[in-house]
Amino acid sequence: MRVLPLDDPGTPDLSSPGRYLRWLGKNQLSTLLGGLVFGIAWMLSQALTPAAIGQGINAIRRHDTGALWMWSGAVLGLGVIMATSGVIRHRFAVTNWMVASFRTIQLLGEHLAMTASPITAEIPTGDVVNTMASDATRIGGAYDVVARFVGAIISYIVVAVIMLRTSVTLGLVVLLGVPLLVTGITPLIKPLQNRQMAVRERAGKLTAVGADTVAGLRILRGIGGEQVFFDRYQQRSQEARKAGVAAATPQATLDTAQVALPAIFILIITWIGARLTLSGEINAGQLVAFYGYAVFLVAPLRTATEFVEKVTRALVGARKVLRVLTINPVVRTVNLVEVANGDQELVDTATGLTIKQGTFIALCGTDPTATATVAERLGAFAAPPATYGGVPLTDLALEEVRRRIVVSETEPRLFTGALRNELNPTETTTELDLADALHVASASDVIEALPGGLDEVVEERGRAFSGGQRQRLVLARALLAAEEVLILIEPTSAVDAHTEMAIASRLKDARIGHTTVVVTTSPLLLDACDQVAFFDGEQLLATGTHRTLLEREDYKSTVLRGED
Amino acid sequence: MATPLPVASPKQTRAEALQYIKRHRRGFMVIVFTQTFAALLGLVGPFLLGHLINQIDQGTLTGSGVNRIVALLGLALLGQSIFTYFTRRASYVLGEEVFAELRENFLAKLLDLPLSTVERAGTGDLLARTTSDMEALAYTVRFAVPESLVAIVTLVVTLVAVGVTLPIMLVVCMAGVPLLAIGTRWYLQRAPNSYRSERASYGVLSGTFSETADGARTIDALRLGRRQKRRIADNIAECYKWERRNLFLRCVWFPFVDAGITLPVALSVLAGGYLVFKGHANVGQITAVTLYVQQLGDPLDRLLSWLDELQIGTSSLARLFGVALVDNDRTPSGDQPTSEAITATGVHYAYRADHDVLRDVSVALTPGERLAIVGPSGAGKSTLGRLLAGIDGPRLGRIDVGGTSLTELLLDDLRGHVALVTQEHHLFIGSVRDNLVLARPGASDHELLGALGAVDAKEWVEALPEGLSTEIGTTGHQLSPSQAQQISLARLVLADPHTLVLDEATSLLDPRAARHLERSLSAVVEGRTVVAIAHRLHTAHDADRVAVVEDGRISELGTHAELLQSGGSYAALWRSWRDEADE
Repeated sequence: MRVLPLDDPGTPDLSSPGRYLRWLGKNQLSTLLGGLVFGIAWMLSQALTPAAIGQGINAIRRHDTGALWMWSGAVLGLGVIMATSGVIRHRFAVTNWMVASFRTIQLLGEHLAMTASPITAEIPTGDVVNTMASDATRIGGAYDVVARFVGAIISYIVVAVIMLRTSVTLGLVVLLGVPLLVTGITPLIKPLQNRQMAVRERAGKLTAVGADTVAGLRILRGIGGEQVFFDRYQQRSQEARKAGVAAATPQATLDTAQVALPAIFILIITWIGARLTLSGEINAGQLVAFYGYAVFLVAPLRTATEFVEKVTRALVGARKVLRVLTINPVVRTVNLVEVANGDQELVDTATGLTIKQGTFIALCGTDPTATATVAERLGAFAAPPATYGGVPLTDLALEEVRRRIVVSETEPRLFTGALRNELNPTETTTELDLADALHVASASDVIEALPGGLDEVVEERGRAFSGGQRQRLVLARALLAAEEVLILIEPTSAVDAHTEMAIASRLKDARIGHTTVVVTTSPLLLDACDQVAFFDGEQLLATGTHRTLLEREDYKSTVLRGED
Repeated sequence: MATPLPVASPKQTRAEALQYIKRHRRGFMVIVFTQTFAALLGLVGPFLLGHLINQIDQGTLTGSGVNRIVALLGLALLGQSIFTYFTRRASYVLGEEVFAELRENFLAKLLDLPLSTVERAGTGDLLARTTSDMEALAYTVRFAVPESLVAIVTLVVTLVAVGVTLPIMLVVCMAGVPLLAIGTRWYLQRAPNSYRSERASYGVLSGTFSETADGARTIDALRLGRRQKRRIADNIAECYKWERRNLFLRCVWFPFVDAGITLPVALSVLAGGYLVFKGHANVGQITAVTLYVQQLGDPLDRLLSWLDELQIGTSSLARLFGVALVDNDRTPSGDQPTSEAITATGVHYAYRADHDVLRDVSVALTPGERLAIVGPSGAGKSTLGRLLAGIDGPRLGRIDVGGTSLTELLLDDLRGHVALVTQEHHLFIGSVRDNLVLARPGASDHELLGALGAVDAKEWVEALPEGLSTEIGTTGHQLSPSQAQQISLARLVLADPHTLVLDEATSLLDPRAARHLERSLSAVVEGRTVVAIAHRLHTAHDADRVAVVEDGRISELGTHAELLQSGGSYAALWRSWRDEADE
């Protein structure tokens, strides 16, 4: 059996959903073939059981003990073949399902990890997760059913041939009847599926409302209104129930059709068979066998409709998967330039703001959104790009820019995992060690309060931490990641004044020798900086120290808001 | 701090499940009734076939005889289809109704959870119960329960038919039982846990996908792409491991089932032969019985394959019922407060035994005053805020409003006195109106707009595509964080408590919007007693009194000016913050 995840999922054919499915199939040809062989054996052993039973009945009629033993042995033998080939077939089917699904999931995951920003700019998070969770597994479904489907076709042909040899009429009934029934049932399925989908979506929405309730439970319990809330939920729930009940009728109709249509088939075969016994063309045992075949043919019939259904779904799934896989990463290929290692002068070309290497500078502005944009330009997250050591950031490899200039945005994410790893996920070696970084960020107490300390696992994106705690942890992470320039956007907006003051002075000491840019309007932080650049919108008004700038009325009112 | 929620015991789960069955007795009866007929009519085919064969062997079969028998078969199949239709329909309806009742009852229990539990239990467990347990149960209730019932009825009817035709053949049917029992027992001892792990492993994989998409910007900034890629590969390996494990379990189990089903068929041909040879039965009977026995396979197979699903559903049910087992933490005494003054006297509080986070805290709020609480992180500011808001009771000491302990008030009454406003803000899925009316059930649109006006939000709400009726929340129209915060503030205006505890209410806000929101907030606090847990020193400066909380105690308490004079830690902090501005 294959081992997953694959070392290399390969380069898929993304030109169309059909081609993608074909590419997947080609990559697992051997397991598909294995499934095929045992699928056929499995189906045939079931198809031939009625024949053995019929022969057994004949043996009883002839009072032939030897034949009786032989044919009941044959029933058992076919059962053994069915059981063995069934297990092997099942293993192949699951492998086929897994390889197709997980190869797709792996492709999606790798692409997402390396191209996260462009993908999420186009596709909402929920859709990306859904593409993985449902579309990729739907694709797998097609590879699960394919071997059974071939087995179904072969067994149908074998049964038809057996009957054709006994009676042309019976043979033709089987030969034509089965495809007729498949085409009869298939069109019934589609509208029903749409209806079911609608019902399921409604139920899904209710689950979402449930999750939403849990997320807002503190607030709800705080302000009240549970009764109003419950009434509304109940109303939705009852609507969903009614929709479900309404869908019960067509669903039950389809279920019944799947029993009733083959029943007509059974009836016709039994009728023709019985008439053939009258004329002596077949014997009683054969009649039993024919009845058995007719009952058996329901199985390949179901497999055929299942095949149509699953392949359709796989195509739909493949379309959604391709939507994600065809989003291209940002690639810079034009004349990549190299810049010598070590901090370099950083210049915002749009405003002319020049930051000498090793400066601890604050960007402070009347409109914090605009000031943050300046900071984003310095980190190549916004255009026009800043220059680093005289080279525009767009002429550097993106990987290189990110290594040398680390931007910590306003609401950075914590990821699931042990804190020890999450605080230094890139395992960068800077002069600081983990304990130092935590000290600088005033986050040591957060760790101490955790029963597991640094081994504690961050869950739910750090929801268990307060806003201030999260901010301090993320600051420690940024400190550890920064090899050269560190840009922090509002790093202390959620911490109290006591803590902010501690962070301000420690940050300054910890970053000696490296460029540090802080976007803030907090006087405690501003006072710690070597230099403050003051902006009105994105326009640079003045640079200087916090104390000298305080002489400006506009600056003073910006940083001491609420005071006057 | 997270305390796990209780899980119902098997006995409690059974008792509760029985109540559901009793309430839906009719639905269950309909299924049993219609399926009995459907199964009976399904036996007509083999029966008539046996009859045909006897007539062939006796040479009494005629053309009209064939037509008569086939016509009967046609009628039986028609009847079977009709009854099948009714069974299926009843099953779907029953599933929908039971499940609707389950989810509604669960939500009612969820909404009834004590405040302290909600605050203390992590949301993870509760969320898992609300989503994955609920979904697992939906599947069990909609499919596993009714289909198992149908399978059982079919099995019983078929076995009865075998017994009626040739009682001795029941022994043959039992030949498969040991195989089925051994294999299934082995499987069921292992499968449910293993399937749960499999589901959990898929949950982790989805989680990684979701946080990778969600944290795209951070991944980009910190070059975490490769790491996430590795992590996804590890998650896949885990899913694969459990898929393999479950595949193995099935591969052991299936042969037992297949053999258990086939053996009786082969034996009934053989034993039937000897019965005929000895003259105890005729060929027609044996044909019918053999085909009956063969027909046992399908319902048996279905029933067995639902068993693990039923087990998983039962454990989900135990977790859902468990939510109802949380004890109420409030003991309403019926006393009514005589004033709006909140006082704390000698308050101690601990999350863990022997570790008081608040020690001997006393403070009396003057109605209408504004008290700022400042102090370093972890000093106990938020805990004090929660106690003053009546969410938890103190370990020692008292917190009263007008002489009545806060935890002895009915929750609905408590909310009329004091509300806690935290950093968290949440918009529920629903319209703007739905979101507001929670705070004052029955409020008119006029009142709602008034409250929105007070927090400076009326204009943009009216400009929304459908005004108050616009759908918001995670699935609706997306509001900015500051708009969301304004909706929360408007709720407070509607709830209208005389005292507000603001726990860093604006601190998580984007500083870019903070100024605007502070205006909205000051409209809300107008005329109320306010306890503000503050980050920003200007909040403290504006307050009537300032309490400095350090290491679980109130170390300084007084007006801004008094504290500055006393020269304590507040004064030191204040000076470093704005001495330059005073020059």
